[in-house]
Amino acid sequence: MTPFDLVEPASLKEAIALIDPDDPDVRPIAGGTALMLMMKAGVFRPTRLVSLRRLRNGLSQITSTMDGELKIGAMTPLTAIEHSSEVKRAAPVIARTMRRLANVRVRNVATIGGALAHADPHMDLPPVLIALGASVSIAGISSERSMTVEDLLTGYYETALAKNELITELRIPTQGNSQAVYFKVTAGSVDDWPALGLAAAIVSEGDTVRSVRLVVSAATSKPMRLTAAERALNGQIANEVHLKRVADIAAEEADIIADIRGSASYKRELLRVFTARAVRAAMEPRGAPH
Amino acid sequence: MKAIKPQVGHQVGRSLPRLEAREKVTGRAEYTHLMQLPGMLQAKILRSTVAHGRIKSIDTTDAKKIPGVFGVYTSDDIQTVIPDPYYGPAFHDQPILAIGKVHFVGEPVAAVLAADPHIAEQATQRIIAEYEELPAIFDEVEAAENKVLVHEELKPAGTFADLKHLKGRKGTNIALDFRLRRGDVDKGFASAAHVFEHTFRTQKVLHLALEPYASIADYREDGVTIYSGAQSPSFVRTEIARLLSWPENRVRVKVPYLGGGYGGKLYIKMEALAVALSMLARRPVKVALTMEEQFYTITKHPSTFRIKSGIDKDGKIIARKCEVWWNGGAYADVGPRLTQKSGFTASGPYDIDNVSIDSYALYTNLTPAGALRGFGIPQLVWAYESHTDMIARALKRDPVDFRKQNLLHDGRPQATGTILKNAAIEKVLDRIAERLNWKKPFDRGQGVVRRGRGLAVALKAVISPTTSVAVVNIAADGSATLYCSTVDMGQGSDTAMAQMVGEVLDMPAESVRVVPRDTDVTPYDMGTLGSRSLFHMGHAVRLAAEEARDKIAALRRELGEPEGSNAPLGDLFRKKYGMQAGNIVGTGIYKPDYIPPDSSGLTTNATPFWMVAGSGVELEVDTETGHVRITRLINVADVGKPINPKIVETQLSGASLMQLGFSMFEKMHVDGGQITNASLADYKIPAIHDVPPVMENMTVDAVQDNGPFGAKGVGELATFGVSPAIANAIDDAIGVRLTELPMTAEAVLRGLYVKNNRPLGDD
Amino acid sequence: MRSSARTINFTLNGRSVSVNVQPHHNVVEMLQAQFALFGARESCGQGLCGCCTVLVDGRPLSGCLYLAVFLDGTEVVTVESLAPTGKLDPVQQAFIECGAFQCGYCTPGFVLMTKALLEQTSDPDDEQIRDHLSGNLCRCGAYPEIVNAVKLAARKSKAGSTG
Repeated sequence: MTPFDLVEPASLKEAIALIDPDDPDVRPIAGGTALMLMMKAGVFRPTRLVSLRRLRNGLSQITSTMDGELKIGAMTPLTAIEHSSEVKRAAPVIARTMRRLANVRVRNVATIGGALAHADPHMDLPPVLIALGASVSIAGISSERSMTVEDLLTGYYETALAKNELITELRIPTQGNSQAVYFKVTAGSVDDWPALGLAAAIVSEGDTVRSVRLVVSAATSKPMRLTAAERALNGQIANEVHLKRVADIAAEEADIIADIRGSASYKRELLRVFTARAVRAAMEPRGAPH
Repeated sequence: MKAIKPQVGHQVGRSLPRLEAREKVTGRAEYTHLMQLPGMLQAKILRSTVAHGRIKSIDTTDAKKIPGVFGVYTSDDIQTVIPDPYYGPAFHDQPILAIGKVHFVGEPVAAVLAADPHIAEQATQRIIAEYEELPAIFDEVEAAENKVLVHEELKPAGTFADLKHLKGRKGTNIALDFRLRRGDVDKGFASAAHVFEHTFRTQKVLHLALEPYASIADYREDGVTIYSGAQSPSFVRTEIARLLSWPENRVRVKVPYLGGGYGGKLYIKMEALAVALSMLARRPVKVALTMEEQFYTITKHPSTFRIKSGIDKDGKIIARKCEVWWNGGAYADVGPRLTQKSGFTASGPYDIDNVSIDSYALYTNLTPAGALRGFGIPQLVWAYESHTDMIARALKRDPVDFRKQNLLHDGRPQATGTILKNAAIEKVLDRIAERLNWKKPFDRGQGVVRRGRGLAVALKAVISPTTSVAVVNIAADGSATLYCSTVDMGQGSDTAMAQMVGEVLDMPAESVRVVPRDTDVTPYDMGTLGSRSLFHMGHAVRLAAEEARDKIAALRRELGEPEGSNAPLGDLFRKKYGMQAGNIVGTGIYKPDYIPPDSSGLTTNATPFWMVAGSGVELEVDTETGHVRITRLINVADVGKPINPKIVETQLSGASLMQLGFSMFEKMHVDGGQITNASLADYKIPAIHDVPPVMENMTVDAVQDNGPFGAKGVGELATFGVSPAIANAIDDAIGVRLTELPMTAEAVLRGLYVKNNRPLGDD
Repeated sequence: MRSSARTINFTLNGRSVSVNVQPHHNVVEMLQAQFALFGARESCGQGLCGCCTVLVDGRPLSGCLYLAVFLDGTEVVTVESLAPTGKLDPVQQAFIECGAFQCGYCTPGFVLMTKALLEQTSDPDDEQIRDHLSGNLCRCGAYPEIVNAVKLAARKSKAGSTG
C-alpha cells in the first residue's frame, strides 16, 4: 500500500469539511474492510483518508420509534445489527441474512453506512433493505437530505452520494404484516459471493398477495426491483400457475450480467426458480423455517 | 490435558498426537514467510502482462529513484552473477527472471529490493516494460499440433536419464511423450463385442497453500544459506550449487515448518531468485509472495484424456487405449516426470490384456504446471473411472460387479507388466460398496430433489527409483535424535518417523527429537512428494535405528554386560568414556530396486509399492438449479499397516476435501492468457460449509510386505476417486454425465437441459 | 506523498503498550514488526481466510484489513496470550487431542475464533460452530477435526469453570 495521511475529525461537520469533493484520492473510511481491499489491490491509492471512527458514539444507535420505525446509525457495525433484539423484532429477515453475510470478522468491523456507500452489487443487505422499503439520511456540507436505499444505489459501485456527503442513518419503516425473505444463491462453494440474490417482502391474506416487493441482486449491476413481476403478482392468488408466470416475467425483465459465477442464461434460470421459491417462502405462515 | 503416558515398545500403530502440536496451537511454529533476518531486504516482483512476447525494453529509471529502493534488477543483472540462470527438475528451461521473452502472464520480469516491502511494491509500479506480443497457445490438444510454438528449443536437464533424448529438440511443444504398448489394442477392438470411447477434461487449479511461497537467501562469498518452505531441500541444494558452479557443501538449505505444500513447494520456486538477488545486493534477501502471486507460480496440470475400451461379450475389458494430453504451462517443472510416471497406470486398476497408452507433456503459454497431490493420477482416475462406470451403465451391468469382474489382483500383471503385489484393490472396492449399502435398494426420489450414489477405485505406482538417507544419533544419556530431510508440511512425517525410531530402539516416540531440516545436518532425501516418504524415508530411518541398536548391543558386549542386560544407555556411555560423553550413530540408506520401462513402456519392476484407494458418494441434486449436495463421502484406502492410525485418517479426510474443491467449483479462469480470478475472493477453496455432513475415512486390513513395519504412504490416496465417484453419483441420480471438471451447479443444470432437449443459451 | 506516523496506546495481551505506527500499516505488520508476534499471519490479504485473526475489545477481526492506528485505546488479544506460562488453554488442548490441524498455518486463527465463540456461547451446536467458523479456511481440510475440537473445548471449558 502507498502511504497516506489519516485525519480523525471529532464531528460530522468537520469530517465532511475534510473531504475535498474534487479530489478522488481523498475518501472517508469507516470500518475500512471494503476500502482496505481496494487499497491493497492497488485500485485505490489515497493521499488522505478521513476516519469516521470518532463519530461512532453519535452514529451507532439502534432505536425503534413508537410507530415501529427502526433507526440505525450509519456507524453501527453489522454484528450489532445482527444481534439487536429490536432489529429481530422489527425485521427478522435481517438477522437471518446476516448469518451468511461475509464472515463474523468482517461483520464485526464493517458498518451499515460504509456498506451502503460502497454499493457492491453482490452484497446481501441492499436487496433486503430495498424490499423492506428502507431509506437513508444523508448529511452534506450545508444540508441534509433523505432518499430510499433503492434510489441511493444508482449503479455498479455507484451511489447518489456526492463525494463529500455521508450517510448518517438508515431507517426501516414498520413492516406491519409484511413478511420478508432473502435467498442468497451461490453457484460454487457454499460461502461464495452470490451468483444471484433475491429478496421478497409480501403482505398476504391467505393465498392472495396484497402487496409485494421483489428485488434481484448480484446478477445485475445494482439491486433492482422486479417491477413487472411485482405488478403481475400484486392482488393475485399465488398459485403455481401464477407463480410460474410471475417467475418467467422476472427472468425476462432483469438485465442479467454474466461473470465467473455463472452465465447470464444460467442466472436467468436461477432468477426464475428463486422468484417462485421466494414468493412461496414469504407467504408461509410466520415462523415457518425457510 | 489428558496425560499421554509414553509407552515403551509398540510405538508403531499408536495414534499419537503430532510431536509439534504445541508449537502449532500456540502460534509459535516457524514458517519462512514470517521469518526476519537482520539487514534483510524484501523483494517485490514485476510480472509480465502478456502471455507470449519479446521483451522490447525494461525501463527501471523511475523505479530506482524512489527513496528507500535499494536496487532494481532484470535478467541482465542476474546474468552477471549467474551466467546460465535456467533451472528446473526435468528441464533447465525456467529463467530466474525472463530473458528476451516472456512465456506466460505473470512471469517474473524484474525485481525491486527495499527494506520496506511497501516501497518495493510501489517501485515495481514505476518500472515500464514493453513487449512485442507473439501468438500464444493455451489448449493442450491444440498445442500438440505445434502450429504456435512456446519455446524455440527444448532444454532437458541431466537429472533424469530417460529425458536425455529430448535435448535440442526444436519445433515442438511436446516436452515429453510416454508410450506404453501391451498386446495389440487394434486386434482387441476388432474382436470386441462393444467399443466405447469418451473424452474427459480437467481444469487448471492450484495448491493455494495458506503460507504463500517464500524463500530467504543469505549469500556470503564462501557459502549461501537459504531458508525456504521447500519440500525438497536436498534438490534445492544441488540445484543452487549447480547454478553457482559450487560444490554442494557450500549451499545450506534450512526448512522450518511449511504452511501447506501439497506438491507446490517442490524443486525450485523462489530460491534461485532470492539467491541471485542476495548475490547482487550482498545482503539477505527475502522473496515472499502474496496469495495472488501464487496463481503465477505453479498449478495443477489441466488435461484431456481420450479413452477407448473394447469389451467382449462376457463383459471383460479386453482392450483399452489411452491418450492423455497434459497442459504443462510455460515451463516444464516436473511435468515430464508426471507425464511419464502417471502413464504407468493410465488404464486403471483393471486386468486388460491389450493396452496402449500415449501420454504427452505440452508446453502452453500459461502459468507452469507441476506436482499437485496425486501427481496426475486424479486426472487419470477422473477419466477412467467415469468411463468404466459409463460402460457398466451402458451394458446394464451393476457398476460394482462390472469392476469386480475386471479388477486387477495380486499376482496378475499390471499394464506395465509388473506383477501386482500388496494391492488390496478388491478389498477397497468391497468396503466402499459395503459402506454405501450398495446391495440395498436406493431411493432416488421423485420430486425436485433427486438422489444418487457412485464410487470409484484407483491405482498409482509410487515414483521410483528414489533415495532416502537418515541418521539416528544416540547421545550419552541415551536420548535419541533423528536427522532426515523429509519435510513435515502437516502430514505428520516427523511423528511417524519418531514412532519408527521408538519402535526399533524401544523408547517412546515423544522422546525422539526430530531435528528441523537443514542440509548441513540432515542427509540426502529425494523429496517429500508422491506419498513416498513413509516408505522410503521410513526404511532409511528404520535402518538407521537398527544400526544404532546393533551398535548399542555391540557396546554392551564390549563392556561385558551379561546377555539380556538392560542397564541404561547412560551407564554404558559412562563406562566406555568415563563420563557423559560420546555418541552412537546409525545411518540408513534406502533406494528400492527399479527397472526403467523399455521403449514400449514395459518393465517388470515399475514400482516398490502400489497405492490403492477409492471413494464412494451419496448425493442430492436440485433439478431446478443444478445444485449438488454431497450427503455422504466415504474414503477407503490400502496403507498396509498404519503407523499412526489417527494421522492416516486425517490425511484421507483432508485429501478428499481438497479434491472436493477441485471436483465441484475450483477453476482458474483464463481469458486470453490472463487469469481473471487470481484471489481468494474469486477463487473459492472448500470452507467449513462445504464439508459433507457425513464423512467416513478408513483403511482396509492389509500389509505391505516390503514396507517399513508393513506400512506404505497415504498423503495422496484420497484424492484419487472423489471426482469420478461424484460424477457417477450424479449420473445415477439424474442421468446426466459430466465429462469436464469442475462439476458446478451450472454444468449440472446445463446437462439436465440438454437431456431434456431444451439447452440453455450460451451467453 | 508524506505520511504521518503517530503514537498509539493500547493494551496488548494484558499489557499497556505504546508504539509508533504509519497510517498505512495494518495490524499484522505492526504485531510482527514491533512485537515479534507471529501467530496472526497475513495469508489471503482479503479477510477471507482468518489466518490474521486478532481479538479487539473481545471481538475477532481480520488484522490484515485493519489499520494499526485504529487500535488506539483498545484491548488487543493475540493467540500468544493463551498460554502465557506454558500451560495450554483448554481450546488449545482440545485442538491437540482432536488432531485439529495439519500444517498449522491457520490454527491460531481457528483457536482465537473458538475462544471468542465460547465466550459468547458456552455450548454451541454444530450449526453455530460452522456459521461462526465459516470465514476461516484450512487448505489441509481439517474442518471435521476442528468442529470436534470446538465441542471438546466447550466441554473442557465448562468442566474447568465448575471446578
